[in-house]
Amino acid sequence: MTSSILVAAGDFVRPHVDYHALAPEIILGLGICLVILVDLFLPERLKYLTGQLTGLIMLAAVIPVVTLGVIGDDVRALFDGRYVIDNFALVMKGVFLLSGYVVVLMSANTAEEGRYHQGEYYALLLASVTGMVMISSGRDLVSMFVALELLSIPSFMLAAWRKRDRKSNEAGMKYFLLAVFSSAVMLYGMSLLYGISGSTLFTDIAQSITGKGQMGAAQVLGVVFVIIGFAFKVSAVPFHSWAPDVYEGSPTPITAFLSVASKAAGFVALVVLIFVSFPQAGDTYRPFLWVLTALTMTIGNLMALRQTNMVRMLAYSSISQGGFVMMPLVVAGRGETDSIIRAVVIYLIIYSATNLGAFAVVIAVARRTGSGEISSYSGLLKYAPGLTWVMTLFLASLAGIPPFGGWYAKFGAFRAVLEAGGGWANSIAVIAAFNTVISAAYYINVMRQMWMRPAPEGDHSPIKVPGALMAALAITAIATLVLGILPGLTNGNITDLSGAFLIR
Amino acid sequence: MDVLRDQNWLLSLGTFLPLAGVLIIMFLPKRDEALTKQVAVITAGATLAVGIYTLMQFNYDETSKLQFFTSHDWIKPIRATYSIGLDGISLPMYILSMLITFLCVVYSMDHVPNPGNPKAFFSLILILQVGMAGTFIAQDLILFFVFFEIVLLPMYFLIGVWGGENRQYASLKFFLYTMFGSALMLVAFIALFIVTKGNSAEGGSFAFAWFMEHGPQVGKTAALWIFAGMFVGFAVKVPMFPFHTWLPDAHTQAPTVGSVILAAILLKLGTYGFIRIAIPFLPQAAIKWAPAIGVLAAIGIIYGALGCLAQRDTKRLIAFSSVAHMGFVMLGISSLTPLGVNAAIFGMVAHGLITGMLFFVAGSIKERYHTLEISRLSGILKQMPHLGWIAGFCAMASLGLPGLAGFWGEFPAILSAWSPAQVLRDNGHWSLFKVITVVAALGTVFAAAYLLWLFQRICMGEPNPEFLDAAHRSNHAPAHSLSAAANDDHHDEVRIYDVNGYEWASWAPLLILIVVLGVYPQLLFKIFDAPVTQLFGIFGK
Amino acid sequence: MLGFPLIRYAEEPAAAAHAAGWFLDHAWLIALIPAIGFAIILFFGKKLPFKGAEVGIASMVASLVLSAGAVYQWIDLGHDAHPVIKTWTWWQSGGMQFTLGQHIDGLALMALILVSFISTLVQIYSVEYVRDDRRFTHFFASLTLFSAGMLTMVLAENMVQLILGWEIMGLCSFMLIGHWWEEKANSNAALKAFWTVRVGDMGLLVGTAVLFGMFHTFSIDKINNTVAEGGGFSKSMLMTAAIALFIACIGKSGQFPLHTWLPDAMAGPTPVSSLLHSSTMVVAGVFLVARIYPVFHTGLDINVAGQQFNLIAVIGGITVLIAAVLAFVQNDIKKVLAYSTVSQLGYMMMGLGVGAWTAAVFHIFTHAFFKCCLFLCAGSVSHTGSHHSFDMKADMGGLRKKMPVTFITWMLSTAALCGVPFFSGFFSKDEIIDSAHANHYTVFWVVGLIGAFLTTAYMTRATYLTFFGQARGAAAHFVHGDDHADADHHGAADSHATDDAHGAHDVKHSRPLPFAPHDSGWLITVPLIILAALAVVSGYLNAPAFHIEKFHHWVTPHLINEMVPEAPVFKWVNALPSIALVALGFIVSLAISKAVFGSEPSPLKGLTKRNSLLGAGHRFVANKYYLDDLYEKVIVRSIAHPIAQGAYWINQRVIDATVNSVGIGGRKSAGWVYRNVDQRMVDGVVNGSGIAASEAGESLRASQSGKVNQYGALLFGAAAVGALVLVIVNS
Repeated sequence: MTSSILVAAGDFVRPHVDYHALAPEIILGLGICLVILVDLFLPERLKYLTGQLTGLIMLAAVIPVVTLGVIGDDVRALFDGRYVIDNFALVMKGVFLLSGYVVVLMSANTAEEGRYHQGEYYALLLASVTGMVMISSGRDLVSMFVALELLSIPSFMLAAWRKRDRKSNEAGMKYFLLAVFSSAVMLYGMSLLYGISGSTLFTDIAQSITGKGQMGAAQVLGVVFVIIGFAFKVSAVPFHSWAPDVYEGSPTPITAFLSVASKAAGFVALVVLIFVSFPQAGDTYRPFLWVLTALTMTIGNLMALRQTNMVRMLAYSSISQGGFVMMPLVVAGRGETDSIIRAVVIYLIIYSATNLGAFAVVIAVARRTGSGEISSYSGLLKYAPGLTWVMTLFLASLAGIPPFGGWYAKFGAFRAVLEAGGGWANSIAVIAAFNTVISAAYYINVMRQMWMRPAPEGDHSPIKVPGALMAALAITAIATLVLGILPGLTNGNITDLSGAFLIR
Repeated sequence: MDVLRDQNWLLSLGTFLPLAGVLIIMFLPKRDEALTKQVAVITAGATLAVGIYTLMQFNYDETSKLQFFTSHDWIKPIRATYSIGLDGISLPMYILSMLITFLCVVYSMDHVPNPGNPKAFFSLILILQVGMAGTFIAQDLILFFVFFEIVLLPMYFLIGVWGGENRQYASLKFFLYTMFGSALMLVAFIALFIVTKGNSAEGGSFAFAWFMEHGPQVGKTAALWIFAGMFVGFAVKVPMFPFHTWLPDAHTQAPTVGSVILAAILLKLGTYGFIRIAIPFLPQAAIKWAPAIGVLAAIGIIYGALGCLAQRDTKRLIAFSSVAHMGFVMLGISSLTPLGVNAAIFGMVAHGLITGMLFFVAGSIKERYHTLEISRLSGILKQMPHLGWIAGFCAMASLGLPGLAGFWGEFPAILSAWSPAQVLRDNGHWSLFKVITVVAALGTVFAAAYLLWLFQRICMGEPNPEFLDAAHRSNHAPAHSLSAAANDDHHDEVRIYDVNGYEWASWAPLLILIVVLGVYPQLLFKIFDAPVTQLFGIFGK
Repeated sequence: MLGFPLIRYAEEPAAAAHAAGWFLDHAWLIALIPAIGFAIILFFGKKLPFKGAEVGIASMVASLVLSAGAVYQWIDLGHDAHPVIKTWTWWQSGGMQFTLGQHIDGLALMALILVSFISTLVQIYSVEYVRDDRRFTHFFASLTLFSAGMLTMVLAENMVQLILGWEIMGLCSFMLIGHWWEEKANSNAALKAFWTVRVGDMGLLVGTAVLFGMFHTFSIDKINNTVAEGGGFSKSMLMTAAIALFIACIGKSGQFPLHTWLPDAMAGPTPVSSLLHSSTMVVAGVFLVARIYPVFHTGLDINVAGQQFNLIAVIGGITVLIAAVLAFVQNDIKKVLAYSTVSQLGYMMMGLGVGAWTAAVFHIFTHAFFKCCLFLCAGSVSHTGSHHSFDMKADMGGLRKKMPVTFITWMLSTAALCGVPFFSGFFSKDEIIDSAHANHYTVFWVVGLIGAFLTTAYMTRATYLTFFGQARGAAAHFVHGDDHADADHHGAADSHATDDAHGAHDVKHSRPLPFAPHDSGWLITVPLIILAALAVVSGYLNAPAFHIEKFHHWVTPHLINEMVPEAPVFKWVNALPSIALVALGFIVSLAISKAVFGSEPSPLKGLTKRNSLLGAGHRFVANKYYLDDLYEKVIVRSIAHPIAQGAYWINQRVIDATVNSVGIGGRKSAGWVYRNVDQRMVDGVVNGSGIAASEAGESLRASQSGKVNQYGALLFGAAAVGALVLVIVNS
């Protein structure tokens, strides 16, 4: 018994590890420990340093990402291709790290004034980001699932971070339970896949998941359940119901984090799964995705129309935005892979910048009004013209009005779909076109509050925006504007998933 | 399509110069409103100066070529380029947009509508100018789309913030309606790109030149559908019956300069789109659609006129008259003849000048009486002779009196409608177009009816007694300080004073142009005749 | 602006062949000068010593001199001269040049000299007449612009230019009729005039479009020649054009059924009535027909064998009679003259309709002098005779002694109008009647004769009421009359719809009261005398009776000559009926007038009150055959109110409503979805996937929310459903 184990251990050969490729993860991992340690020795009044430390760590983690990118797009596959660093992965890592950094900036004052346990808070944030950074490289059921849980579990706690607030606790609880349910479904699917293909490696699974006709119920269930698991992560209708409550309950920076980073992580996983492990199963999941996309866009929009609470509105709007991200995947296998993945990635980048910015403004305004109601934004132009203009910029970008980033994101999605052609594609494109108009309605409504409604009684002195928040605003605003005017910047070989296919 | 590239920095400068002004204004102290206004005027003036320099550098013997042409890679992955150029068709609208913006800024020097806040007000006008100018010079479909959309938000805010009682409803309607149009338009653009791209080695392009070359080969059904998409997008902007209902509300609620810019330039984006994009790119679809467009145009003419006759509010009446006049423009376009399109472009400019002027006048009347109710106004000629006569002059110009600009938009359109392009006659639409012609001619009678009726009711007769004492209270124009205070106290008491300095300054150019272009239309026709003939010759005389 | 082309000057080779002479080559100046004059008056008039009047008169005199020179040179060229045509590029489209230019021939020159001459006299007259008017300068500006417009139209080388002049005249008549716009009645009259004419102009636009569609040119000369040569164009199309254009002429020349605006137009100051609405503008329609006569002649088959009727002749004929009848029931002296104008225009149209081109054009010529004179007389009467009133019954009578000059000139012109032999009217009108007979348009011959009778009759009535009988009202004043009485008439005058006085009234009484009727100043009488003289002699330019046919040689182009039948040889026998009828009309009318309006009692007095039949007839006529009611109360009102309102209702309640309802519907459905689907639908699923729900429910007690179990249920349920469907689909 033990001997057998020893034998097994005996012929265990230590795999070659490319430390440069793993540098971001390593830095983050060490960073987590560092933050916790530092936190132990910091007096209460200096706790805010942990935040700054976290920021630095994330920026530090960006460095290897950049160097890897600069060195060129030679794909680095580790552990027999179970963990792959290709351009796609690098880009997404960058996105996660930077949006994580922005979230840290946004958190600074909230965490301090909310008398949060800052050390733990930031440590968990780092952990979650680490999970994201990993998920974009996962090319194996196990590595992907581990990464997924690593990014999820800390966010449950972060969601419930405002201890004294029942809503927050409830949010954490709900998030946790529903996430568990979805994980259950997904695990079930994964186990089916493993059973079918006898391997957890995506590329192996791809072999056994064949086209329409020869697919047994097992295959179908496997594919569908895995997709559902991630559909939950990206809060696609009808798996979205957790999102609004959780978003509303969580501390606003965390809401921003969830609505951007963890959603993006979900999409990364979806893209990898669809293009790497189910390349031929298109006919199976295309109708499914079509329905999900149509529902997500439409329902999300319609419900956002009715919201009176800013955060809740943004929550639903982010649901419908998710629909737009998912739209190109509907034609996966039909259209040009390049423009599909490009559309998704670019949409994620622009959407992250814009949505984070919007939440930053929400935080800034809430510091004055202390209310999340949309009506509390009335007359903002009077006493906070700067915030008004910036918020207008973000909302316009979300509505897809040039020259702000959003238009290019939507453009890419439309183009990818229309290129594929055919009934599925054209119909979803038209639905999306109408949805842009609906979405414009509620974004416009907020602008109307800020620009046209008279300011309520009370203190009309200009709003003071703390430095960190200001930085966050600046980064996101500039990113949104620049990406809108010069979308060409996103040009480049960011969509190369070939790494996944190296080992054949 | 060969192009002239010398001085190709000129257009970019002229288009983006206003942004410089916006940046400066942003950093000005909120208190110092006079400074804001000065910066705005200087910026707009400088922009206009660049425009006039462009006018002088333009080569009038090569009007059918793109001049000051420049093209750079912009968005590689989708093959969109930053290509801008100016030819005879673009030139008039490009310059007009600069002129109108400048005059509007001048007018606003002492007419900043409530609730003040000149910083935002002028910034928005200047941003608007960028969008308008850019749309007319864009030579790439994506660039065109971007500029086309840029005008949306500023106009939305101009209406919604500085507008009348019902401004929020009107502005929202304007925004969503246009948004709806442009969403379909964008889909149509992409579809056109993908269809034309086909399997061509170059992998397609969004440049106009590309579509000019490959558009006509698009298959019939695809072309019809794509044209339909563009049609909705542009028709909403024009606006054509039955997509016009946003217009009266937007116009009525918008602040004076808002209405002026809306009428003078924004509506033209739609017709320009038809002339520059929809028809030349998809001629085969255009032939199929032309009769429908013609019928809608004719309906619009009569319908707008009837709408005018039913109005009780001066501004709303003028707004409806826009529907009728744009009907004439679309009528000219629908004939697919060079003559008709020439008429259409002339009509665009003329309508810009005349209706813009009418809105200025209406605004100034509102400024003084605080009402535009036709039934309450009368005897303006007696209380303010100059204003009254200017109103009469504009009315005459608007009803298409020969010798004034309006006529050259209407009459040739009618001519061309009677003898439309050969292809249309061959397809057996001739008799239809004859009917349309007669209807349009009837429209000119209606135009005379509602405009002169308006003039009689508000300008002639004895002044309304309720305003008489006001006339005595201030028979001299109040001192126009640039302070916002001057604007606010306008709004409680009725002050009657004849046309003041700022108004003269902002109106004189328009009035002069209306006469000059009316007396010597060649000034304008010469510019765009050649390119129009080149574009629309294909349909046969 | 740099780079713009200068006006290109393109000379027609035909005209270039023989140098026609400076005046002919530069005839376009005749129209240009008044145009410039207008601008000067408009911008500097108020500052000038005579408030701009001098500029107006000067420019008119200049035009007069130029046109006189041109006429001289034209006559010099002899009567086989080609028209002198000059063109400049006005605008271009697709290589087509649209030109502006001059087309000088006998017809044009006749009209040019006529217009410039009469305009000059009228402007001189006006200096006295509207002195001290509040808008004196405006008045002269408009008058001058009007002349410019008319001259432009007369010169017109092509249809577009013709339309230009045509519409400018319309504008001026609007401004001048509504000169005293404080009075609603006046502005109404102005609008009515503009709209009625505008209705006709529809025809002008369409007709021009049709011609352009056929010949791809606007050049009148080219069109005429092409049509005259015949062939190469569709006949029906030409007829369409002819009818359309004729509608325009009906509107402009106050022909039946669009004549109703002309009498109302008398709301304008008298000089305006005399210049625009008698002698020049209203003949524009006739001029247009004469100008492109081939189009009408061929299009409407005039003079084809056995033709009894054609559109032009019929309309002309009807107009002659109905207008003449209307003239009987007018109390307003100007309205009598207005209707007389209408009926005379009818004569001209009828003449053209029966192919008597020369006679009709000649009637334009002679009619201008005596009708202008008559109007100015009426003006003079009201000016110094009846204290601004035009009511013959209320404020006139027995003025012949008090205003001898006015009286004599009036009588001479009346004689000319009635067609008393050896007066100008006789030669022109009788020629028309004669040709109608000779060209076998018997009906119109009769119509012409009756018209002659009626004309004499109503003129006699008017003359009697104005100058004979005993003085009434204001006319009865004498030097030391009492202010009080005067004040009354003053009030009466005020209430009068077509009252010239307001301009004067508002600037305090310019004339001292009390006053006595007396002759007007020389500024008024001199024009009267000149015009009266011409009313007598102008006929001798073309008096077939004495074998003078100069006018014919100078004016009638070859084109027309070849087209229309030879003018009949004059025989006194043929003239007898008309002469007899004129005499008869005079006698009858005089007798009746004496009886009805005279001092002695007579059975005829108030006959219309007693005899119901006559009463009905009188009412029918007095109401202008109810045509106005038809137009204003039926057509206009129906368009302005129910139809327009209906259209607007549709706009708001249907089109706009759909737009709004889409928006509202969106919000509503959103609300529904949010409430039912998103927040409650889950319950349904709960029942669906009961186990999951209950288990979840058990395990979720801890949580505060009742929703989590539902959410979970939804999650599992949806997953199950999705999986199930896909499994079925895929296997």
